[in-house]
Parts: sequence; C-alpha cells; structure tokens
Amino acid sequence: MDLGELDRDSTSRCRLNSPVPAVCRKEPCVLGVDEAGRGPVLGPMVYAICYCPLSRLAHLEALKVADSKTLSESERDRLFVKMEEDGDFVGWALDVLSPNLISTSMLGRVKYNLNSLSHDTATGLVQYALDQGVKVAQVFVDTVGPPETYQERLQGRFPGIEVTVKAKADALYPVVSAASICAKVARDQAVKNWHFVEKLQDLDADYGSGYPNDPKTKAWLRKHVEPVFGFPQFVRFSWRTAQSILEKEAEGVLWEDSPTGDQEGSGRIMSYFSKGPRTHPHLPHRYFQERGLESATTF
Amino acid sequence: MESSDEAAVEKCRVHLRPGTLCDAARATLHLLPCEVLVNGPAPVERFFTPAIRQGTDGLEVSFRGRRLRGEEVVVPPGLEGYVMVMEEKGEGVGKDFSEGSSNLREEQELAAPPEALERDFDRFMGATASFSRFTLWGLETIPGPDAKVRGALTWPGLAAAIHAQVPED
Repeated sequence: MDLGELDRDSTSRCRLNSPVPAVCRKEPCVLGVDEAGRGPVLGPMVYAICYCPLSRLAHLEALKVADSKTLSESERDRLFVKMEEDGDFVGWALDVLSPNLISTSMLGRVKYNLNSLSHDTATGLVQYALDQGVKVAQVFVDTVGPPETYQERLQGRFPGIEVTVKAKADALYPVVSAASICAKVARDQAVKNWHFVEKLQDLDADYGSGYPNDPKTKAWLRKHVEPVFGFPQFVRFSWRTAQSILEKEAEGVLWEDSPTGDQEGSGRIMSYFSKGPRTHPHLPHRYFQERGLESATTF
Repeated sequence: MESSDEAAVEKCRVHLRPGTLCDAARATLHLLPCEVLVNGPAPVERFFTPAIRQGTDGLEVSFRGRRLRGEEVVVPPGLEGYVMVMEEKGEGVGKDFSEGSSNLREEQELAAPPEALERDFDRFMGATASFSRFTLWGLETIPGPDAKVRGALTWPGLAAAIHAQVPED
C-alpha cells in the first residue's frame, strides 16, 4: 500500500484506492464500510470501503476474511495481499484523516464532532465508489453511534441502495471484514512510518498502541510535551488524555473564544441593580479601542 | 497588557540604546490570535514553521490543535519594526556606574543633557530584532483588511499628522 501522499502532507487527509475492477461497473455490487484508529490519541483515523459483485461474494468469503481485530498483523497483511491479487473483482478505497484534521475539526469554533466526521467520511467514500461507476446495490456499515439514526441518514442519502448499519458489522459481513482489514493495514502502516512535520530531537518511536489507556502511550505523551506548542501534530489535541496532560504540563493559552471567567460574565447583569455609584473605568477614544491600542504605562 | 487606573504606576525614565537599533538582526515574526500565558523563547523553527502550508487562499497552520489562517502584513513605509526588550532594573545603570561601557558613553553624548542616573528611576531598553513584515494569523479565518493590527499600523501616520507643524498662512 503506497501511502506516499500522506508522507508528503500529513496535516490534512488523503484518499487512496485500488483500480476499479471492470466487473464492478457491470454487475450489482455489495460494499462494506469500516474504520480503524477511531479511539487512539495518536495517529490518523482511516476509513475504508471494500466492494465486489454480489455474484462473487462467496469468493471473498473463501479468502476467510474476518474482523481485523481478531487477526494478527501478519494475517491482516497476508489477507490484504490476497485481496490485491483478486483485484479483478475486489476493489477498495481509503480516506486517511490526519490527527491534525481530527483535532482542528473537533476544536473548531463550530465543533465538528468525531461522529459527524466519521459519518461524512463514510458517505464520501460510498459516493466516491458511485462516482467511479461501481454499481453499488447493497451497503453494509459498522456503526458509529446509534445504528438507527445512522442508517436513516445513509438510506436518505442513497435512496437507491439497500443500506444496513449494524454494530459488529465487521464480524458479521465478510465485505465489512475486508474493509476493516484495508483500514487497519493502512492505519498500522501510517503510524509505523509516520512522517513528523516537526523537527523533533531524540524522538522516541515507542508509543505503544496509541490508545489513551496504554501506559506506554501516556508516557510517550508526557515525554513529548512542548510547553508552548503542546505536542507534535501526530497527537490528537482534542482527546481528553492529551488535553489533561497539556493542562498540567504546558503553558496556558487563551483564545478569543475561550470561556471567560466569572468577573466578566455572571456579575454583569446584577450590577445594574446595585446601589451606589458605579465606577466606570476611563476608556480611551473609540479610534484606539477599535485598533486594539492602549497607552503603555509599564514595560 | 492590562493597565488599570488603580494600579500604582511606578515612575521611571526610560532610555533607549540607539546602537541596538542598527545591530538588530531581521526576525521572522508571527502574531497569533491567542495569548500564551508565558514570556520566553519557544522552538518556533522546529514546531511551527515546518507546519505552515500554502493553501489555495493564504497560509495555513495549526496551533494547539486549532486551525489558523494567515497572511503577510507589511510595516507601512517609513516605519521599521523592532522587538524591544527592557533591561532588568538597575542593570544598565549599575553597568554605567561601575565600568561605564564605551557604548553607553557614546549614547549619553547623544542624549542631551546628560543627567546622573538613579538606580530605581532610570531603565534601559534595546532592540533584539527588527522586522519590516510579519505573519498575522486568524482563528480559522484570514484576518483580512479589517484586522485590528492593520488599523493600529495607521496610527503612527495619523499621529505624525496631528503633531506636525501647521504652516502659518
């Protein structure tokens, strides 16, 4: 799997895909959607679709694909190679979402949560397959959040396709298992060969599983805190684990949309009812206020 | 910088070290849309600069997991930007009293009239870097022509006009 595009720019997202098998443009196909790396505080999240003609589903099952979590890394790699060999009827596509994209989405002025990001990415991949001319007849999706609303959304978006959203779909439907293998193989490879944008000194490559509860991952995070910049962009700043380490071990940062303290918010309205003269601080002319200019009395 | 009326303003006399203005090396500056609650050096070259991307419209980067969009701001013609640093209290004064660096002597010759320096009253400031442009960053949006700092840069020109001699006619 060539993740070269991700190496060139690991700050956004990148799409990767197999050639579309000719048969998939002719015959009705079944398509599975799954993801890898949703939970970890480190590295990208990878969404994958895998599809094949309904008539060839038995062949895909014969590969003995299974939920990627139940397979070892080498088994996943081997199965992915097999799927590549069966490229005449199996196709796949990936969307690799960088940790920076995840952080900036979740920490935006308008919060774009991980569920919405996941749903939109999955939808985008199904649409991508349709745009490539794949005759998608059925879609199976491993759920993110409550399956009912997710299914309703996807079904509404693709009325001509039979959509099934289920928990543990990656264990139930081989085409979803195949997608989960693609996603996991890509995620593992991306994490292993992560191209840090920062020029880091004595970088420790031993970051464990990347899951927040892994002591190795936590130790790695603590070791790589930078007091001003926080973490390298390999870290998902929006994760609670990352945030709480920053709160303790990095310098404070105030944004223009940071919640302000009590003195500004809650005291205000009551002050209209208070007796006695209110003290107005002497404000400079509007010209200066609008330009953020203040006279300096101390240096 | 917060300056309330109640706070006791400590009186002092500030001296500029003119030599530092000539020596100040060019610096690359970034103005962020947030306040980092510490003053000190930061590894900008290692963490920030390499992460800047040229997007379709303007520069892009992220800081602490938040998306920033930036653009170059040029210091108006006729003006020069300096990064000024205040010397510690009594630092320059002591130096002058004890050793009397040649540099300081020269400066004092320029500054008229030469007065006796007082340890708690006289302070020195000098430039550590100079700039004629900087990168202005906005939180998720390009700061654009209405950015406060762009307005602030119009003040020196206006101030000069206000204080200029009006020709008698």
